[in-house]
Amino acid sequence: MTLNSGMPLAIELALFALAVAVLLKGIIGRAGQDPRATESAESVGRAQRGSGSGTGWMTLFGLLAVFVLTFFAEEGTSILRGSFVQDGLALFAKRLFLASAAISVLGSLTMRQYAFSRRSAEYHFAIVVSVLGMSILASARELVLLFLAFELMSIPLFLMTGFLKREAVASEAALKFFLVGTASSAVIVYGMSFIYGATGSTALEAIPAGLADGNPLVQLGMVLLLAGLGFKIAAFPFHMWAPDTYEAASTPFVAWLSVAPKAAGFVALIRLYVQGMGDSMLAWIPALAALAGITIITGNLMAIPQRNIKRLLAYSGIAHIGYMLIGLAAFSSSGIAMLLFYLVAYMFGNMGAFLVIETVSRSEQSDGIDAYKGLAQRSPLLALSMLVFLLSLGGIPFVAGFWAKLFVFWAAIERGLYGLVFLGAVLTVVALYYYLVVAQRMYIDAPERQEPVRIPGLLATAIAICMLGVVGMGVYPAPWVEMAQRVAATLFV
Amino acid sequence: MGLQAYLTLAAVVFGIGLFGVVTRRNTISILLGIELMLNSVNINLVAFSRFSGDVTGMIFTVFTICITVVEAALGLSIVILLFRVRRTVTADHLDLLKG
Repeated sequence: MTLNSGMPLAIELALFALAVAVLLKGIIGRAGQDPRATESAESVGRAQRGSGSGTGWMTLFGLLAVFVLTFFAEEGTSILRGSFVQDGLALFAKRLFLASAAISVLGSLTMRQYAFSRRSAEYHFAIVVSVLGMSILASARELVLLFLAFELMSIPLFLMTGFLKREAVASEAALKFFLVGTASSAVIVYGMSFIYGATGSTALEAIPAGLADGNPLVQLGMVLLLAGLGFKIAAFPFHMWAPDTYEAASTPFVAWLSVAPKAAGFVALIRLYVQGMGDSMLAWIPALAALAGITIITGNLMAIPQRNIKRLLAYSGIAHIGYMLIGLAAFSSSGIAMLLFYLVAYMFGNMGAFLVIETVSRSEQSDGIDAYKGLAQRSPLLALSMLVFLLSLGGIPFVAGFWAKLFVFWAAIERGLYGLVFLGAVLTVVALYYYLVVAQRMYIDAPERQEPVRIPGLLATAIAICMLGVVGMGVYPAPWVEMAQRVAATLFV
Repeated sequence: MGLQAYLTLAAVVFGIGLFGVVTRRNTISILLGIELMLNSVNINLVAFSRFSGDVTGMIFTVFTICITVVEAALGLSIVILLFRVRRTVTADHLDLLKG
């Protein structure tokens, strides 16, 4: 069964319906509550039993239903004169966004903060709207749509960063993230205005012709766009918002924030620079390679002195963005395929690590690395899963991250980027050092307390899913590689 | 006046906005800088649209104006929230997160 070919928007319409349903459920649930209810224990308990987790479950099942729907969507259709396409890349990206959002919602279902039970509908509404924005972004082949989708994705993210509004750090992080995000949006849309002016069209198909003419305005526009997108994916030198935002925002949300918007940024980069530019992209390879190299160096070196595990993973995430940029810089079908494979491996490894952090921080009330002392003796399974996630991020054989790094290097060697591959390989060792510092805390240091860490069942489920993904991709990567290659091959015709 | 003049005006406005974002210490002034950057885009788009006789640029402008309004609303509400919690809107005082 496939959907009617006139319905490439089915996934987006379903997400929109889900967002409206979540919001309505929240409004109806709120109407039943006492408006003057204060933060007494009683009202917290009532809200938790009531609409709080209800909207969460609704969002979770809704996202899973839309995820299933993507497998019925017909590939290769387009509407609005080609400005909205449902190709392999779009469907691949949509599945990634939906899966990561579902894992994040599963992780946040047991959040006990007052804000999450009282304003649960707002939180989940923002997540669904942001996924809707990403989903449109993945299909957009037109500048206006691309820009609007970017904003639809970003604005709920600013909101969710400051969601715990009574905490002093939350609003600070939200403001920093917002200022950087909107400034980068302004740069992006300024670049778009030049591309439109020079090519006379907002369709991405018009860009190669404009570049072939050697029009300096198109070049300027593409440079501005690259700078703006660099902010969004947190590449050097536009990475400083990431650690602050990660530290202050709620961890299940950060798990998702560290993966999905970055993936969306890469999809936009692929659409603009690989699909949009054609062979004139070759002249950009040195610039992209330099960006990748500097990003890897900064991320890995800044991660070493970190004592807060969320900041540590934020900097290591910046380094991973650099490794993914290597795949983009290779500018070949295999390079893009390996970038997509890397994104999936990174999703499982990084989200899993953040979910373990959430579990530990709930029990220890701390995000410091020292909170992990002796975790292996207290909760062996939790420590083992953290170790596997860290090893996957570090790139040890037989977990997903190893293949991801190897394949990206492989693609770069085919393009002749030997120096970049050497640099990446050396800094992988540096990365292993700070991942193993955490492992040392867990396995070698003596625990400060003896009782095991309490692991909520739903969080354990989410961690188990990530674990399955990491180990599954590590032991048997072939089907994932084939899928990524099939998607990437359609971009080079 | 030719297209060049409008593009120069937009570039100057964008530059002033960017300068404000980078140098200002008051977060509301930073927000104003971002507004200037976004509005220079509108000058660009309308100028290109007018000189090429293609209306797409005008439509794009309507969308960017909407986005600008949304961002101003969200930005100011975050600043108000920050002021309620921290009693300051100066960027130099926002130093709880660093490292």
